[in-house]
Amino acid sequence: MLRFLLVRLFRAALTVALVVTFAFVVLRMSGDPALIIMSVDAPPEAIAAFRKAWGLDDPIWLQYLRYFSAIGQGELGQSMRDGRPAMQLVLERIPATLALTLPALALKLGIGIPAGIYAALHRDSLMDRIVMVTAVAGFTVPSFVLGLVLVLVFSVQLGWLPSGGQESWRHAILPVLTLGIGGAAVLARFTRSAMLEVLGQSYIRTASAKGVPWPRVVRGHALPNAAVPTVTVVGFMVGSLIAGAVVVESVFSWPGVGRLLVVAVANRDLAVVQCILLLVAMTMVSANLIVDLLYGVLDPRLRSGAKAGAH
Amino acid sequence: MVGSLTRRSAIALGGSALILPSRFAIAQADNRPAITIAVQKIANSNLLDVLREQSNVGERVFFSSLWEGLIGRNWTGNLESVPGLATEWKRIDDKTVELKLRQGVKFHNGDELTAEDVAFTFGKERMFGDTQPAAGKTISVDFVVGGGRASKELPPEVPAVARRSWPALLGIQIIDKYTVRFVNGTPDVTMEGRISRYGSEIMNRRAFEEAKTYSDWAMKPVTTGPYRVAEYRPDVSLLLEAHDEYWGGRPPLKSIRFVEVPETASRINGLLSGQYQFACDIPPDQISQIEKNSAFEVQGGTILNHRLTVFDKNHPQLQNPLVRRAMTHAIDRQAIVDSLWAGRTVVPKGLQWPYYGDMFVSDWSVPAFDLKLAKDLVKQSGYKGDPIPYRLLNNYYTNQTATAQILAEMWKEAGLNVEIQVKENWQQILERTPTRAVRDWSNSAPFNDPVSSMVSQHGPNGQQQQAGEWTNAELNQLAVELETSTDRARRKAAFRRMLEIAEREDPAYTVLHQNATFTAKPKALAWKASPAFAMDFRAENWGGRS
Repeated sequence: MLRFLLVRLFRAALTVALVVTFAFVVLRMSGDPALIIMSVDAPPEAIAAFRKAWGLDDPIWLQYLRYFSAIGQGELGQSMRDGRPAMQLVLERIPATLALTLPALALKLGIGIPAGIYAALHRDSLMDRIVMVTAVAGFTVPSFVLGLVLVLVFSVQLGWLPSGGQESWRHAILPVLTLGIGGAAVLARFTRSAMLEVLGQSYIRTASAKGVPWPRVVRGHALPNAAVPTVTVVGFMVGSLIAGAVVVESVFSWPGVGRLLVVAVANRDLAVVQCILLLVAMTMVSANLIVDLLYGVLDPRLRSGAKAGAH
Repeated sequence: MVGSLTRRSAIALGGSALILPSRFAIAQADNRPAITIAVQKIANSNLLDVLREQSNVGERVFFSSLWEGLIGRNWTGNLESVPGLATEWKRIDDKTVELKLRQGVKFHNGDELTAEDVAFTFGKERMFGDTQPAAGKTISVDFVVGGGRASKELPPEVPAVARRSWPALLGIQIIDKYTVRFVNGTPDVTMEGRISRYGSEIMNRRAFEEAKTYSDWAMKPVTTGPYRVAEYRPDVSLLLEAHDEYWGGRPPLKSIRFVEVPETASRINGLLSGQYQFACDIPPDQISQIEKNSAFEVQGGTILNHRLTVFDKNHPQLQNPLVRRAMTHAIDRQAIVDSLWAGRTVVPKGLQWPYYGDMFVSDWSVPAFDLKLAKDLVKQSGYKGDPIPYRLLNNYYTNQTATAQILAEMWKEAGLNVEIQVKENWQQILERTPTRAVRDWSNSAPFNDPVSSMVSQHGPNGQQQQAGEWTNAELNQLAVELETSTDRARRKAAFRRMLEIAEREDPAYTVLHQNATFTAKPKALAWKASPAFAMDFRAENWGGRS
C-alpha cells in the first residue's frame, strides 16, 4: 500500500511540475504582459520601466528558473497588475467558487445518479426515454447558452431572480442550476450505462435465479459494481470544484476563481495563473488519488490485484 | 432605488443641493437614489491611480466622480477647459502659470485643499520619483505642515508616465495657502492644457503618507470628487458613496456601484431586468436591438480617440509613398461608419479634435475617397502586386476584424494585394520583422493641443517612430517647434504642415473614423452622456426619473 501511495504521489508531483512548466511556456511565449497590462498606448518609457521591474527583459530560461526555484521555496509571486500576493488573490476567490460548485455538485449527484439508476432499471420505458432525452439535451447544450436562457426566462421575463452578481443567495440560484443541470445529465448517462452493463452480467442473473429478491440484487450486487465507473466521473467533478465554473462565472459575473483565471490569462499575469493552475492541478490530482483508493474499497479484486502485484 | 425618485423630488433635490450650503444638505434625510452601472471592465490595472491606470475604462470611474484637476473639463459640453479646483489662472511668463485655488474645498477625509496638496501631487514622492525634467533641476519644496515623509515606493512606470506628461516641469512654487505656480524648464504654451490633462488631478497629501503601501493608497485614493471610494473589489465591483461636503454641492446620488459584467448579453439582460440602471460598452450592432424596447435608449457617441491604419514605410511595397497615398484614397470611410457603426460616429478632420480650439485646422480633411485617383497612384508607383501584410488583432478595437476585411477589399479594388495576418497580441503586431507593413491603432488627445496627439504619438519619441515604422526629418523638426515655440501662429502653421506630411505626402497613418462608446439606460432616467468615457453624476447632470 505504501509503495502504491508513493508511486501515486510521485506521479502527482510530476503532473504538477509539467502543468506549471507548460503554463509558463504558453503564457510567456504568447504575449508581453507589459503591453497588455500597461496598454499599447502607454508611453514607451513606462512600458520599458514595467518590463525591467518585473524581469521581463531577462532571457526566458532565466525567468523560468527564477520562477521554478521560487515555487520550490513556497514563493508564488505577486500579481503584475496591482502588486498583491498571487496566493492571496486566489484564496480570496475560492469561497465564491465553492459557493457555486459545491451546491452544483450536490445537485449533480442528487439528480444524476438516481435518474440514471431509475432509467437503467426501467430500460426502454417511457420514463427511460424522457430521462435520456433530457440528459442528452442537458449534456449537449453549452453552459453559456443554458445560462443565458435561464436569465432570459427567470430574470428578464419573469423578474424572479437576479441576472448576475454575488450580492445574496438568490444570485447563486441560476449559476448553480446552470452548472448542476449539465453535470447531472452527464452523471445520469454514465450511471445508466454502468448499471445496464452490470445488470447484464451473469452474477446478476445467478443471484436472481437463486431467488434473491430483486431490490436486494440491485442494492447488493448491481449498485456497488456500477459505482466504479460512476466514481471516476464524480472524481473528475470533485477535481474541477476549484476552476470548473469558468464559463458560468463569466456569464453570471460571479467573482470566483474562474473569472480570476480568465482575467489573469488575458493579462498574462503569470504568477496568478500559475497559482490557480497549481491549485487546480493539486485538487485534480488529489481527487484522482482518492478515486484510486476508493476503487480498492469498492472492488475487492483491485485490492487483491495490488497485493498480488506487490509480491 | 431609482424607482422611488419622482420628477418633483428630483428637482427639489437638485435645487436644494445647488442653493443650500453643504452643512444644511447633510442634515437632510438621505432618500437619494443608489444606482448600479454594469461595465465590461472597471480598471485594467486594478488600481485607481490616474498615473497607473492608463486606459479608457479607468476614465469612466475616475471622472467626474472621483478625481478632479485644477483646471477641469466641461464633461457635458465639448470638453472645453473650465475652472476646477482652481478658480482662475494666468501666465506669469512663457514658463510659468499661476493658479488661485478654490477655497473651502474638502477632501474625502475632511482635510481642506491647500497649496501643499498641489505641490505634493506634483512632487517626486508621488509623481516623478528620481526622474529629472528635460531642462533645469527639480524645484525643492519645503513642506510647512503634515505628517511623516512618504517612504513608499512608486511602481517604476508611474514616474515614467508622469514625466511623459510633464517633460520639463521643474515643480510647484507655493506662493501662499491658496496660490501656486507651475514652473517649467522650457517655454511651453501647452502648460494650461497639461494642467487639465488626465494624470494631473490633485490628491490629498496626508492620505498618501498615511497609507501603508502604494497599492493600499491606490485602491482607495483620497481626492476631492463628489463621490468617494467606499469599497473596491478589483475585477468585481467599485462602490462610490456621496461626498456630502463636495464643493460643487451635495451629490444627487447616495451611491454609485460599478459592477464588472464581462459578457455583453449579461449586461443587456441585467439592464432589461432592472438590476442595472446603466449598461456600458454596448457594441454598435446591439443598439437597435435594445432600442426596440421603447423604455430604453442607447446614449453616447464619439470620444477623444480616432481609429487609424498605420504604415511601416520600411516594408518594400510601402517604401514608395505613392502606394501609401493610394491606400488612403481607396477607403470609403463613410461606408464603414454607416455599415459597422450604425452611422453613430463620424469621419473626423484628420488626427485632431475641435477642442484644440485655435489650433484646430478646420479646413483640413482626411484624404478623399477617390478610387480612380487610388488606381492612378498605384499605377504611377510601379507596384507589381506583391503581397502587403496587414497584421490584425481579433477585435481588440470595436469592429476591428470587420473593418480590416472591408479595408482589404477596398484596397483590392484599387489594385493592392493586402493580406490579413491575424496575430494574438501586440508584441506580435509590433515585432520588427520584414513582414511588418500595415497595422491598426487608435490615438487619443489627453489635452487640448496637437502636442498631445501628433507629437506624442507620431513625433520622434512617439510609438510609431520608436517602433521603427516611420520617420520624417521635416516632421521631427516641426515637432520640436510645436513643443517649444510660443508663437501661436507659427505653431498652427507647423501643425498644419505636420498633417500634410503625415497624412498626405509621406503617409505615416490614415485616420479611419472617430471612436465611440455607447451606454444603454432607461429613457426615463434624465442623464446625459459625455463625449468621452467619463460619466458625470454631479447634480447638474442628474434629474432622476423624468
